[in-house]
Amino acid sequence: MKRVARYTAVALILGLALVLTLAFRRDPHDIKTGTVGKPAPAFTLRSLTDGTSVSLDQYKGKIVVLNFWASWCIPCKEENPALTNVWERYRGTDVVLLGVVFQDSADAARTYTTRLGNTWTSAIDGDGQVALRYGVFGPPETYFIGADGIIAGRHIGPIDESTLLTGIDTLRKAARP
Amino acid sequence: MTLVRAALLAALAVLAVGLAWSARPQPLTDGERIDRIALELRCPVCQGLSVRDSPSDTARSMRALVAERVAEAKTDDEIRDEFRRSYGDWILLSPPVLSPSGLVWLVPLAAVVIGAWVAWGRARAPAPASARPPTDEQLRRLRELAASEPE
Repeated sequence: MKRVARYTAVALILGLALVLTLAFRRDPHDIKTGTVGKPAPAFTLRSLTDGTSVSLDQYKGKIVVLNFWASWCIPCKEENPALTNVWERYRGTDVVLLGVVFQDSADAARTYTTRLGNTWTSAIDGDGQVALRYGVFGPPETYFIGADGIIAGRHIGPIDESTLLTGIDTLRKAARP
Repeated sequence: MTLVRAALLAALAVLAVGLAWSARPQPLTDGERIDRIALELRCPVCQGLSVRDSPSDTARSMRALVAERVAEAKTDDEIRDEFRRSYGDWILLSPPVLSPSGLVWLVPLAAVVIGAWVAWGRARAPAPASARPPTDEQLRRLRELAASEPE
């Protein structure tokens, strides 16, 4: 009886250690649950600069880096240089950088883009429904959408240039026949 | 006496029917349904708050989406599933039993079962040797020792 109890205790401790090991191995910035691996939810929003329609459909067949941001979000300012570099690097190619303004006023968002000199397209998610469909927790959050329209990955928090380039390169390689 | 007993039984029956009637499931209004679903959903930008209890913009957007889906006559499960598709099971404050996160429901149950099993094993274990009555052989030897002791 004592032996059985001892084995049970050892098995429980080993199980707990296994669960903790698996949990700590996970990168908290790379949450797999939710929309990753599924088709990117379609949307049509209003462009921040001229009010024209911006829809995901118009970028069909391209790699889309979808970045949720807000002017009040301090980490969004931190990641802006990385986004600018990537935008300059892939401008006019099969890679599109698309911003989505998250819970912010259009005026504040416009002032922000003008001040930082951002020239890539951003659209306003006025009622926050697009963010909900993508499973956004809060800005900044970046989604990598492949040419096949599937969300290949997401990054929670400020993203750096290396993560952006790795994500884009992986999708470009996958898109090549 | 029989009449009193019959009246008492009748009163009890009326009381039971009344209680059952008042406890019957009431059809919920749309507002009550929205409240109930919002209470089950976790606010993604808060610390352990439900969508119903959070004043954040995200919770407000989620509540608006729930209201929209209720107006579209979607079922509670369909609405919950829509949020689960975006955020995973994490978005539900009480994880579903049939999911990996549903293991949290099994842990207390497993602890109770293991505890009961250990307690049962202990209860069935033979009493310590000192508590057992002496055997005939032990008694005989004790008597022999006592007899051989000088007075």
